[in-house]
Amino acid sequence: MSIIFSIVVDGVAYGMILFMISVGLSITMGLMRIINLAHGGFALLGGAAVHVLSVRLGVPFWIASFTAVIIVIVLALVLERLLYRHIYGFGELGQVLATIGIVFLMIATVNLFLGSTILSLGAPQSLTAAVDLGFKTLPLHRVIVILAGFIIMASLWLLMEKTRFGIYLRAAVDNKVAAASLGINTPRVFLAAFAIGAGLAAFGGILGAELLPIEAYYPLRYMVLFLIVVSVGGLGSIPGSFAASLGLGILDTAGRYLLPGTGTIFFFLAITALLALRPQGLMGKAQ
Amino acid sequence: MTNATDQVSIRRKMGRLAPVLPALIVSVAAAIAFILFPYDLAFLTRIVIMMIFVLSFDLILGYAGIATLGHAAMYGCGAYAAGLVSLHLASDPLIGLLAGAVAGALIAWISGCVLLRAQGVALLMISIAVTMVLQETASQARWLTGGADGLAGITVSPLLGMFEFDFVGQVAFVYSVCILIAVLIFCCILASSPFGLALRGIEGSASRMRAIGTPVYRRKVTVYVIAGAIAGIAGALAAQVTGLVGIEVFNFSLSADVMVMLIVGGAGRLYGALVGTLVFMVVHHIAAGIDPFNWLFVIGFMLLIIVFALPKGLISLPDRLVALLRRKP
Amino acid sequence: MKFKKFALCAVVTAAFSTASTMALAETIKVGVIATFSGPNAIWGKQFREAIDVYVAQHGDEVAGNKVEFIYKDVGGPNADASKAAAQELLVREGVKYLAGFDFTPNAIAVAPLTKQAKVPAVIFNAGTSAINKQSEFFLRTSFTLSQLAQPAAQWAAKSGAKKVVTAVSDYNPGIDAEAAFSSSFEKNGGAIVEKIRMPLQTTDFAPFMQRIKASGADAVFAFLPVGPATFAFTKAYNENGLKAAGISFYGTGETDETTLDALGDQAIGLVTAYHYSAAHDSELNRSFVAKLKELHPGSHANMASVGAYDGVDLIYKMIKVAGTDGQKAVEAAKGLEWESPRGPVKIDPVSRHVIQNVYIRQVERAADGTLINKEIATIPNVPDLGFNP
Repeated sequence: MSIIFSIVVDGVAYGMILFMISVGLSITMGLMRIINLAHGGFALLGGAAVHVLSVRLGVPFWIASFTAVIIVIVLALVLERLLYRHIYGFGELGQVLATIGIVFLMIATVNLFLGSTILSLGAPQSLTAAVDLGFKTLPLHRVIVILAGFIIMASLWLLMEKTRFGIYLRAAVDNKVAAASLGINTPRVFLAAFAIGAGLAAFGGILGAELLPIEAYYPLRYMVLFLIVVSVGGLGSIPGSFAASLGLGILDTAGRYLLPGTGTIFFFLAITALLALRPQGLMGKAQ
Repeated sequence: MTNATDQVSIRRKMGRLAPVLPALIVSVAAAIAFILFPYDLAFLTRIVIMMIFVLSFDLILGYAGIATLGHAAMYGCGAYAAGLVSLHLASDPLIGLLAGAVAGALIAWISGCVLLRAQGVALLMISIAVTMVLQETASQARWLTGGADGLAGITVSPLLGMFEFDFVGQVAFVYSVCILIAVLIFCCILASSPFGLALRGIEGSASRMRAIGTPVYRRKVTVYVIAGAIAGIAGALAAQVTGLVGIEVFNFSLSADVMVMLIVGGAGRLYGALVGTLVFMVVHHIAAGIDPFNWLFVIGFMLLIIVFALPKGLISLPDRLVALLRRKP
Repeated sequence: MKFKKFALCAVVTAAFSTASTMALAETIKVGVIATFSGPNAIWGKQFREAIDVYVAQHGDEVAGNKVEFIYKDVGGPNADASKAAAQELLVREGVKYLAGFDFTPNAIAVAPLTKQAKVPAVIFNAGTSAINKQSEFFLRTSFTLSQLAQPAAQWAAKSGAKKVVTAVSDYNPGIDAEAAFSSSFEKNGGAIVEKIRMPLQTTDFAPFMQRIKASGADAVFAFLPVGPATFAFTKAYNENGLKAAGISFYGTGETDETTLDALGDQAIGLVTAYHYSAAHDSELNRSFVAKLKELHPGSHANMASVGAYDGVDLIYKMIKVAGTDGQKAVEAAKGLEWESPRGPVKIDPVSRHVIQNVYIRQVERAADGTLINKEIATIPNVPDLGFNP
């Protein structure tokens, strides 16, 4: 019994990180119909900024993390205005090419200034303290990750359901043209959604650095993982991403615990089967 | 004199010549490269093999509009099949190619039956997942594939029993170019056949093609299997030339590179696949030679410039230039 | 026949070449094939920096010949690129020595070329025992997993471990390490209670830690490729309370100098068996590390650096004796003994692999506040125990 509990807890912690990083990708892919392969780059830049601030400049970790998320959001706003705005209009293939180009530039920049080794984020030692849950011990940062995941899910839900911006965003996801003709300033909605997505990616990248260590090739190394979460959850669906992240986190953890040798094969076979049966993902709209 | 039938017959003759034209261009270019760069044959051979691989991807992405990120699955299976055949059965290179083609076609047929029912992102992800399953299997089956150390010791007997694979790589280059030409002619014929036209129709609008009675799914599976066989041939060539197959043949980055090269060149036109591969690999080679640590900047900027300036790929450059010149006066 | 053609080509080159290349006739070129780009670029970087250090210390002249290094990037494990790079180096650049090779497939792919061209290839890293069987021109200055895992097993048995879980990455080197450790540990009277193989892509090791705990073992032996995996594994070991539960850790390269700082205080106390520590106490090592810091501030000396440093040392020694005669050079290298920054080393005449001390090290904080691998015991002159000719 305690085995099942421990798989679930580890899986949920892993899934929460996947959720935080991927949810922004899901929103942009669902909303702007853009395949943004550079999304993981925002997580990398967030982590790299924390590394520079906290390890090299001695800024306390929490302040450094907050600043890093702000930096990434600002950067995302600039990139959206300068590049992404044009990329929306390209075909699928052009989007792939352009966003791969962007991710290459992000990687090359981090590689040039910080090298290709793992970047420590200088998190305080207190975060690694073990918390006893009775059936297993868990490091404090995982507890924080799980709590942060729920808080983000809850605030995104509030944002989507209870605010004017949420209504605009949902309308634009459902039907961009109709939303625009009703007077919704869709470019502004796009910009805000893009920045929120990038900020969440940075936040997830920083919090998840213990599990997915930050290094220059981070965006390419985990690109497939993030794309899997988005497609399994369903494009544009926040609850879908949440369910997919937790489900995949638990599935992957269980596979590794119970079938270490062949777990990966089963993981990918399960995804194949699921997408073959439900191409729109768990909670996506049928196309 | 100027009667219409004559013109039609001339056009017909030209039409019959058309598939040979790209082959001619490629042979001439290859001959020039052979003379100009006698010490780079190993690298040129890699380009030629990659061209075959990208051509096969053009059939499914450019012609049939099927976007996948798992084309390495067929390449890898072809490579392993050729390697295993030469190690355990027969060392003749052409038999190895045949084995590669069969393996590529087989895996394309099996996986295609599942993934061609999906579309968009789901299709992309299933194709990635299939490749991952294959890579993990190759890594686990150490007794057969050598695992992460690679399937080593692949040797091939002289080509046609006459030409031994030499140190400088002359035979390997000529052999690869011949296969490329054969594949190119085949692709040209295929593209202009009714089957090729049906594919273009599917790319344009699958529902309309369905409405006029084309079995869309069956056509897609067919072209996927054909492309798989060609990708398998490319993998088999690589295995024979290198003499080793590593589990990296199933890398996601290989599938992504193939897609990038095709889009850089221009999808849906066979020349685009050739030009894109050539430009991408040469730029990569030179940039990595000059600054191995920072060449990614060059590739990144190149991709952005191409996608913004030439959305239809490098192959559209002459058209764009002509359009620019015409606009001026 | 094949070689004739090659010779013919060389004549053609000479005919085409200009006077400037004639003037450099006594330049001996060394081709370094490694990964300088991509996620594994750290290998090429470490190699290149160590070569810089060696050349800065010893000059670029050997017995009147100028030595020139030509670097080729293969972007990771990529047999096709490695073979093509070797061909280009041999045919166009006319290199007389090949070096580098971070990954096993990259080394094996050039085996036939080294035999045809009779060019020695010095492997700075790739650690599968079987590589050296593929060509009699392969020499290696790194380590093999049997070489490290057997001493680790003996040390674990000596320190009182009775029941051990092995946890290795599920790929060939991991399996080698598992086999070598298990057989040696059982020979020393211990028991292996479970053998865990972890997928290569894993970065979340919490589930495995749970398994290790549940197995009832009193120690864990681990091997993972250096990088995100070792980083995350050692972190997970600490954070899941294994240390607190009294399960001791025996590893190999998990506390690599390039990731040690990122691990931080959690690494303190980890015990590993390895052939090199940047904190090795010798004059030669101190000058090597100091020169590296001087030329490349912020760099760390690690096993890749010392592999390259000793590899170049070996190449210089071969050039001194044999010049550009590859066959003679390999013969000269066999049985060669010298002092390396890692300690005394010798090239095994049979396996052409380096015989070296294996050190048991423990991570601690040095006087200057940095984390180091402090050597606490030495198992002298260990050959490649996994080599069967």
